[in-house]
Amino acid sequence: MIAGMNRYRICWLVALISLLSANLSPGQAAESPRSRDRAAMARIANPPLGLPAVPTPADNPPTAEKIRLGRKLFLDRRLSHNGTLSCAMCHVPEQGFAVNEMATAVGKEGKSLRRNSPTLLNVAYMRSIFHDGRETSIENQAIAPLIAADEMANPSIGYLVQKIKALRDYDGLFEQGFGRGPTMETVGMAIASYERTLLSANSAFDRWYFGKEPAALGADAIRGFELFTGKAGCAACHTIEGRFALFMDHQFHDTSVGWYRAMVRDDSEQSVRVRLAPGVFVDLDAAAVRSVGKPLPADLGRYEVTLDPADYWRYKTPSLRNVALTAPYMHDGSLRTLPEVVAFYDRGGHPHPGIDPRIRALHLSQIERDSLVAFLNSLTGDNAEELVRDARSEKIGNPQ
Amino acid sequence: MKRSFLELLQSMGAVHRLCTIPILALALMAAIGAASAAKADETCMSPYMAKITGQEDFVYVWTLGVEGLGDASDKLVTVDVRPGSSTYGQVIDSVSVGGRHEAHHAGFTDDRRYLWATGLDTSKIFIFDVHSDPARPRLVMEIDDFVSKSGGVVGPHTSYAMPGRMIITGLSNDRDHSGRTALVEYSNSGTYIATHWMPTADQTRGTKIEGVADGYGYDLRVLPRKNVMLTSSFTGWSNYMMDFGQMLGDGEAMKRFGQTVTVWDMHARTPKKVLHVPGAPLELRFALGPNHNYAFTTTALTSKIWLIYEDDAGEWQAQAVADIGDASKVPLPVDISLSSDDKLLWVDTFMDGKARLFDVSDPFHPKQIYEKVISTQVNMVSQSWDGKRLYFTSSLLANWDKKGDDNNQYIKAYNWDGKELKEQFAIDFTKEKLGRPHIMRFGAYALYAAITTDTSTAMTE
Ligand code: HEC
Ligand code: HEC
Repeated sequence: MIAGMNRYRICWLVALISLLSANLSPGQAAESPRSRDRAAMARIANPPLGLPAVPTPADNPPTAEKIRLGRKLFLDRRLSHNGTLSCAMCHVPEQGFAVNEMATAVGKEGKSLRRNSPTLLNVAYMRSIFHDGRETSIENQAIAPLIAADEMANPSIGYLVQKIKALRDYDGLFEQGFGRGPTMETVGMAIASYERTLLSANSAFDRWYFGKEPAALGADAIRGFELFTGKAGCAACHTIEGRFALFMDHQFHDTSVGWYRAMVRDDSEQSVRVRLAPGVFVDLDAAAVRSVGKPLPADLGRYEVTLDPADYWRYKTPSLRNVALTAPYMHDGSLRTLPEVVAFYDRGGHPHPGIDPRIRALHLSQIERDSLVAFLNSLTGDNAEELVRDARSEKIGNPQ
Repeated sequence: MKRSFLELLQSMGAVHRLCTIPILALALMAAIGAASAAKADETCMSPYMAKITGQEDFVYVWTLGVEGLGDASDKLVTVDVRPGSSTYGQVIDSVSVGGRHEAHHAGFTDDRRYLWATGLDTSKIFIFDVHSDPARPRLVMEIDDFVSKSGGVVGPHTSYAMPGRMIITGLSNDRDHSGRTALVEYSNSGTYIATHWMPTADQTRGTKIEGVADGYGYDLRVLPRKNVMLTSSFTGWSNYMMDFGQMLGDGEAMKRFGQTVTVWDMHARTPKKVLHVPGAPLELRFALGPNHNYAFTTTALTSKIWLIYEDDAGEWQAQAVADIGDASKVPLPVDISLSSDDKLLWVDTFMDGKARLFDVSDPFHPKQIYEKVISTQVNMVSQSWDGKRLYFTSSLLANWDKKGDDNNQYIKAYNWDGKELKEQFAIDFTKEKLGRPHIMRFGAYALYAAITTDTSTAMTE
């Protein structure tokens, strides 16, 4: 009996050791903390097919220690003043590191934010941060939600740093990562180091286009690609380069979504279509909705940063990678599905003097619209689940 | 002038029956399936709890702090409702807990000595001693680690008394703030015991699923003689914290409302069947009659009364039995209160501020027989055991309440004479700089009679 049990144990041990020492490719499950961090480092060094080299700041090169610490901070609800919001509550790993369940984000004590939570997948490549591009690095960005009164709402940076210092489970972690304790700078650097590992590509499209695997992409998606780069003109802004594709031009455009919300939509509605239960809808008097709602604050887009009238209602071109995972769409989450987005472009948006001339009626057939949707659906990276597992390998920080 | 406590009660025609049956006996009766004479409250309390069957002395109001109003904190407010008291209809005490937590529901322990008041936002639980001095509850304990102890449950809602324990329903979780949640058990002394996750399609735990299993939670009630526990389903943090107007227009958010009532094996705490009740079923009320094997709930969004009943084959079923107002206008039934004889059901509809009375003596065919506008908005309703006194409060959720001039925040007391509601007093919670009043729970000296003869003299003034 006992000998038998021992033999079992040894078998397990051998299996475990061989698993740990196996050379894990980035696509493989990285279950132990060590191999998980190694896989994250490997992703940065060797991004998945279809992505360019990852730009890393000279003063914050990635290390396993920083990534591990950043992940922990990212998931820690104690980092908000009242212990309710972590970064991950508004950038939910299972929801494409965005939020699928609402159009515009909800912050501290339910405060309405005016914009949709963007995905953090491939955020490493963003040259300007936020929908209006007001921030210049993800290191800087990380501080903003921590002290914004309507988001995580810490009273000050110093207060937050003191709070982290008092949390015993952070003892030594900043020192290991940076050779110094928590500061505004090291908090931002650690979180950014983790965010840089959220790389996702090697999609069906990538394997077909860059990997030259003819069978990787279906006929409808191929037709969609041809429209995307041809007649529909999408690639003018959602760009594809020779050796990689980010599907964004790092520019700001007026697609008319913001203009419409500000100048037309809010006063023209007589009633609001409300879903009461599956298949049960009513058109509720807009006055009734207003009686229990506050309108969202105005949003002027890029103009708020530059104060240049040419920038009214311009927003950053988002990457379309993993777009199937990150509904709803646009800076205000006003389009709920990819067919709705394609229909919006097909109509030519909401024409008005400031609209980008490339947004124009396309007169696509139903088959063409479906093909574009099929193409957008082919842009989902093959490691989305691995990145979720990676995030969930860390315990969620909660008040003790 | 001093009078004996008993004399006093008699003179007030108050207490018919002081529930002194030891908890253990009750539990035993339940366990052996005897037709127990357990009474629900004033009229919705746990059957394991002593009831105030006569005149309540105080109404405790768990109140949300409002940014910019008074101390801006959540607080337990005590209102004096003793007829003839010099402070009748006034706030006589208020205990602020510091901070805003989305104060919502509160429930007594089985011995009715402590009131557990929860916060849906921060998931904190505040425990008040209400027996040492029923006129002045004291905050004696704060549970700050509910989320980590429970393994990720967010939004403690109903605190329901079981023998020696509290079962707390969650509304959300710490992974995505959706409605997926669990029941969490504590001992009366505040020690965490267990977490029971709601069944879902991928984790059915052997449960029979009628339509969907959303895994959502809200209210909880038990029927010990049938060993049945029911839970209802609302929505997650993302929605209950969201601006109501924003949410109504947000097609994604509106997809995330509960569609289920779950039937549990009460003793084993295992789910048996998930009933399909679309439209966000909220408050649950079991009938009180010894042979009435049914409960009512109302769906907030679809404006229906649902009957949850045991059929002839002994199987629990759900059936929509009546419309509440004009469903196309979304009147939003929020709280309900069943009379102790199971004949009348009060239903508050938030949007039109109405209290509606349904004759439910035939539970399959409720009929509305009366309605009255209480204010621009109304949320909770609580009635005395004899059904003669009703109390209403105004606030639904901090970000769901009416905006602007329609945002009246009050407690109002009425007498019901069988035909009409007659207002007795009203307190403006904004003017008093208190906040948004939510759930009400009753207190009475009579519950702790033997030791409070002295204090009770105050009642004669
Ligand atoms: C309350 C919800 C919420 C919380 C909490 C939150 N975010 Fe965000 N995040 C948003 C919203 C909404 C935006 C878009 C804001 C804008 O463009 O003005 C955003 C934008 C971003 C962006 C810019 C992405 C891009 O493509 O430009 C990054 C990076 C980011 N958040 C990271 C974080 C980090 C790190 C944390 C935690 C420290 C965090 N967020 C906490 C809602 C949230
Ligand atoms: C003039 C530049 C431009 C062109 C041409 C263009 N887009 Fe966009 N696209 C944008 C910008 C800018 C946004 C962000 C708008 C906002 O946030 O309100 C966007 C957003 C999107 C989104 C939503 C992404 C998200 O995460 O919210 C999708 C999907 C999309 N575009 C697909 C397309 C398709 C398909 C076409 C061609 C039919 C196209 N775009 C043409 C600039 C452009």
